[in-house]
Amino acid sequence: MNKTFITASALGLVLASMAGTALASPDWSKVPSRQVTVFHPGTSGLEWIMKGTEHGGAKGLSKGETCIGCHEDAKTLKIDIATDKILKGEKLEPKPISGHVGTIPVSVQAANDGANLYLRFSWKEPKGGVEKMDKDNPVKLAVMLEDNKVVAKDSKGKNVQMGLAGGCWGTCHTDARTMPGADDKKTKYVTGGSLANGQFYDLMQWKSGKGAKPVDGYVADKRVMEGGKALVSAEGKKDGDTWTVTFTRKLTGGEGDIALASGKTYNMGFAIHNDHAAGRFHHVSFGYTLGIDAKADITAAK
Amino acid sequence: MAELNPKRGVWAKLRRPSAKYSLLALLGVGFIAGILFWGGFNAGMDATNQLEFCIGCHEMKDNVYQEYKKTIHYSNRTGVRAACSDCHVPKDWKHKMIRKIQASGEVWGRITGTIDTKEKFEAKRLELARHEWARMKASDSRECRNCHTFEGMDVEKQKSRAAKQHENAKKDNMTCIDCHKGIAHKKPAGMTEEEAGG
Repeated sequence: MNKTFITASALGLVLASMAGTALASPDWSKVPSRQVTVFHPGTSGLEWIMKGTEHGGAKGLSKGETCIGCHEDAKTLKIDIATDKILKGEKLEPKPISGHVGTIPVSVQAANDGANLYLRFSWKEPKGGVEKMDKDNPVKLAVMLEDNKVVAKDSKGKNVQMGLAGGCWGTCHTDARTMPGADDKKTKYVTGGSLANGQFYDLMQWKSGKGAKPVDGYVADKRVMEGGKALVSAEGKKDGDTWTVTFTRKLTGGEGDIALASGKTYNMGFAIHNDHAAGRFHHVSFGYTLGIDAKADITAAK
Repeated sequence: MAELNPKRGVWAKLRRPSAKYSLLALLGVGFIAGILFWGGFNAGMDATNQLEFCIGCHEMKDNVYQEYKKTIHYSNRTGVRAACSDCHVPKDWKHKMIRKIQASGEVWGRITGTIDTKEKFEAKRLELARHEWARMKASDSRECRNCHTFEGMDVEKQKSRAAKQHENAKKDNMTCIDCHKGIAHKKPAGMTEEEAGG
């Protein structure tokens, strides 16, 4: 009788603790999802974006417009971007890759439980055709978060809130590695950025390679792929042809992390490196606002 | 002394009242002649507005015409075409006359060959483009507005990029040519950021 009692209580304890961890991540079937389309951006670095003679949207940015203000239909959430021209190599793409798709629709969900932020991305894997640039990782997904501080200068020298307008584009420069003519060692960077002045992006990355550890770093005057303390876990799995990647990160953070507080909105962008892609050959999102218990493009509610 | 003689000379003949023809006949003939002359004048204005006339000069046919053929003003869903004069020659009489007189400068350029080679044309492209941009800006894009109006735009049918840009343009009192440089011909190298965004 004693043995049975001990076994039963031991089993009960195990089950209870399992239930405890299951409660920690949200019931995703109850969390609303937002369709975000990621796309192949070619060589459209920040310098190109801000040049009116190249990109008609530069004047919109100077007036405080966001990328999605023009490039995403408010009702259908479809994006309007010249991916067909880019894929064919007609503009912004000196190395067109056959088989590379222009866009990937992604379902994005976000939630928080007062202690952690949960971000979940789900998409159907498209065909590749990209040469195997990153042999170890068939798929990668990276997220950047920013606290409304990163700016970029327009052609008149005026500051544009780039984190808000364009998400990760604050780090994308035409002289960064894999851009035509760029130094292979030059990473993404924020012009004038540093941890000290708050102009930086918190970077989290999940890699699909065997034994690959998730990355928690930041991009200030250069990209640092470690040192962040906020990321708790990044898990990804493939079900048939659908990938699902979930990030769990503490709301608070340390040096190199963006601290997230309830009631505030932050700026977010993410990118998928599909089919062993590396560098600029990822499919990127525009900038979206992320609200912690606050209304935004993507809301992480409790 | 003979010219002052009111009885002889062409001028004297013209001033003398008609002894042969009735007033009605004279008026009738004058009226018809007027129509023929005025009509002929207008036909001339019309003829020099035709696309075929413009590309009669190889300077136009080999350069700007080839570029225009790749644009939406040449080929589009509804087949509505804007030819050279639709954008470059005002439609109202006063401004049309001024432009037609100014066109003698172009005839001079043709005679002296200022842009008669590809190299010469490319060298002058920015300057020539700037003339047209300035003319269109000064007239508040009058020739564009012959066909396009903000009020006539069905925003629902526009892509959000276009709708947003037009919304901002209306707010900032901009004119078509502020943004739509290069709509029918290649944008010249050396264009400034100021010229690109108004």
